[in-house]
Amino acid sequence: MSRPTRIDARVDVAAGAACVVAALVCLALPTATRDGFSGALRATFMAPLVNLQKSAELSRRTFSGHDAAVVVADSVALRSLRLTGVEQENARLRALMGLGASLEWGFVPAEALRGRGVGDEQSLILSGRRAGIEPQSPVVTEDGLVGQIERSDATISTAIVWLHPEFRVSAMAMDGEAYGLVQAHGGTGADRFFLEMRGVLIRTELKPGAEVVTSGLGGVFPRGIPIGTVVSELETPDRWARSYVLRPAVSLSNLGSVLVLKSDRVRAGVENVWTTAAGADSGARRIVSAVDSMARLAGDSSAARQRRAAAVGARQPPP
Amino acid sequence: MNIGRVLWVGGWVIALVLLQYTLRPLLGWRVQVDFLVIALLMVAVRSRPAVAAFCGFALGVITDALTPEAFGAGALAMTLVGFASSWLKAAFFTENLALNAIFVFAGKWAFDIVYLTAARGASGSDLAVQVFLWSPLAAALTALAGIAVLVASRPAPDGRRR
Repeated sequence: MSRPTRIDARVDVAAGAACVVAALVCLALPTATRDGFSGALRATFMAPLVNLQKSAELSRRTFSGHDAAVVVADSVALRSLRLTGVEQENARLRALMGLGASLEWGFVPAEALRGRGVGDEQSLILSGRRAGIEPQSPVVTEDGLVGQIERSDATISTAIVWLHPEFRVSAMAMDGEAYGLVQAHGGTGADRFFLEMRGVLIRTELKPGAEVVTSGLGGVFPRGIPIGTVVSELETPDRWARSYVLRPAVSLSNLGSVLVLKSDRVRAGVENVWTTAAGADSGARRIVSAVDSMARLAGDSSAARQRRAAAVGARQPPP
Repeated sequence: MNIGRVLWVGGWVIALVLLQYTLRPLLGWRVQVDFLVIALLMVAVRSRPAVAAFCGFALGVITDALTPEAFGAGALAMTLVGFASSWLKAAFFTENLALNAIFVFAGKWAFDIVYLTAARGASGSDLAVQVFLWSPLAAALTALAGIAVLVASRPAPDGRRR
């Protein structure tokens, strides 16, 4: 090997080693510095690419939902020929039942995107501060709590979801009897897709199926957002507190549109929003049933009137 | 490389980066093509290891901005893959399409292994499933796409074969 070639090889090795060292330095950076770097990159190089990705995701959902939408549109059109008025009323009621309508104000709708596609199921990419998304804001869907905004730049935010090992939320049973702290269950395989509620007082017992919602303690998450349902009690060495395994209210697979609650909405609270949305169906059924009962009563009373008239007529002597 | 070839390769790299953020989410498959690795390998086989390592580092750092918790993991993986592939190009990168496919497959698999190890996002059985099931499948798909890109990018602007 000639001298210039050897020197070139050394330069290559030195440059390669320098890049490896720089990458290792990036890995070891303190969180604040790392956030600064990544935030600057997100605001410059990555902003147009993330916008492209967002458009592509929306297009895919449109493509994949097209056939189903056509089927729904056909059936709706068919039914609307017969029940136009009822369908319109249903559509209006359904719109009213929606979470956005229940919240009414103080939220930002956003599309949840994934990052690299390898090992990134614990975080989401959302719109940034320009869209009104601030750090610490809760991320929710109509099913319940998804996670929390971790960082927010002008154009892009990142959120951690409930699967993240650092995710914590103060929680309580729906009836307010038991309080605790909910976090990812951890473990491997399917187990890690469960949540864990810790620190529940030993004297309070939660039955399987009991619903758990945010407690509002701490001020980050408003009270009343569904987190999950109790699956079973967890055996722990702790004698003074119970722990429970929860089935999350929100499935993270195919997570599309989400709502990010603004700070003033968090302060104002969201109590009854999810119970309203969940109970809207049963409410509608109750309304229908009440209308039926009234109609039945009306029918019964008219029949009774007819019977009374018949009886009175029978008691009166014939002319 | 002359200026024409640099522009030609640069154009392909930009196209592949755009495909990464348009076609990949549009397909939305569980097993996905990694166009960034293909772009890096395209650069690596046409440049010195130092240049390939630097390109890998730059590409990795920029894309790591979307995963701040693993910031640096992509840069490390891209640097190692770029450097190694440029170093080994004489052995692997020939006119033989099968060898090229193996080259891309190995590059993508190596990237995933280094990335997952450095990011420390998964461990135990999850890591094993990712490394031995999903990553090889993604690498195979990336290899197929890589071959398609190689075939499509062969005609150079000056009409000669590289």
